[in-house]
Amino acid sequence: MKRLVPSAEMTLGPFFPREFAQGANDLTRVEGRAARGEAIEITGRVTQADGKPLDNVVLEIWQADAEGRYDNPDFFGWGRAATDAGGIYRFRTVRPGAPAGRAPHVNFLILYSGLMRQLQTVMFFDASPDPVLDAVQPASLRSRLIAKSIKPREYRFDLRLRGEGETPFFDD
Amino acid sequence: MAIRIEPREPRTQSQGVEPGYAQTAQRWPAQPLQRRPHTASELTGPSSVLRRLAPVRGDLAGRGATRAIGQLIHLRTRVVDEDGVPLPGAVVEIWHCNAAGKYIHPNDTHDAPEDPNFYGAARMVAGDGGLVELRTIKPGAYPVPGTGGWWRPPHVHFSVWGRVWLSRLVTQMFFPGEPLNEADAILNAIRDPEARERCIARFVPSEKHLIYDYQLVVRGCKGTPGMP
Repeated sequence: MKRLVPSAEMTLGPFFPREFAQGANDLTRVEGRAARGEAIEITGRVTQADGKPLDNVVLEIWQADAEGRYDNPDFFGWGRAATDAGGIYRFRTVRPGAPAGRAPHVNFLILYSGLMRQLQTVMFFDASPDPVLDAVQPASLRSRLIAKSIKPREYRFDLRLRGEGETPFFDD
Repeated sequence: MAIRIEPREPRTQSQGVEPGYAQTAQRWPAQPLQRRPHTASELTGPSSVLRRLAPVRGDLAGRGATRAIGQLIHLRTRVVDEDGVPLPGAVVEIWHCNAAGKYIHPNDTHDAPEDPNFYGAARMVAGDGGLVELRTIKPGAYPVPGTGGWWRPPHVHFSVWGRVWLSRLVTQMFFPGEPLNEADAILNAIRDPEARERCIARFVPSEKHLIYDYQLVVRGCKGTPGMP
């Protein structure tokens, strides 16, 4: 049977309902219960080519639980946040464990007005060997996917969509 | 059988920077996108995002005497994967402007009337056959500020969760026969005419309602590689 062609992706536009982006950025709780693992905070600023911070960018994350599993019913590894007027987003989550064959990481998806299709990137905690981190070329860009540890349990992961210090993004 | 995600077909997707849409040149990466192997991390996904997101009412046309102004339409959207298999249970977000071309959003500066009986957002779950049925009003057209005459044709925004993380789909649906479709920088970013045509809903004649049928194909297939 001939496969169907996936629908054309299009921009989120500037009018994504504000309420759709609220209230889903805390992964440390699932249906009222605390998730197992070390609670951490991930924040960052999203900027465009001229360095301007971007308001109301929608970011979604997907990650393994503290033991590196994806199918744990007691942890829901998906969340969504939106940037504020200063371009800042914030997630609370648990530190992911290492999934089989991978280093601990958090998948990021970025949706925004003027982004014709979704952008995908990945946040790592350190430079441990990982098939996705190690696929980034040239190798000098890999450090841009490693979060900065600001203080214990707080990580900073800035996203530069284009221009100086541009974040590496993936096409799948 | 495991789900595969095949590379995007370039002519069926925007390549990122579009001449008619200035902000794309500020926001789409200048560097080539990276390729990566796919592991469980990319090929799993949230079973149902409703564990973290509440449903939002699935009737945007208002009720009784408080009916929203505009042409009442029935939008029937089917969510399928690349194998054509329907996805009952898929979560779908839908939003659009009112009949005058005005969004319920603080960023919308267009000088068009608001409609107190129109609420332009729904979060729904696909039923049997992957079907999402929405009663709403037909959205209007509106100008894009600072572009010297680009008017967005009537369109409906969709956000869909497919089977896995890489199946996520955010897109827009257009209406047939709209003159503004011809020049829209977003619709025409899709270079392949057939792929572009699939972004336009199909009008279904019916005595009682204006019905529009639409199909959303999320990424992911189970067939043998190289044997589509």
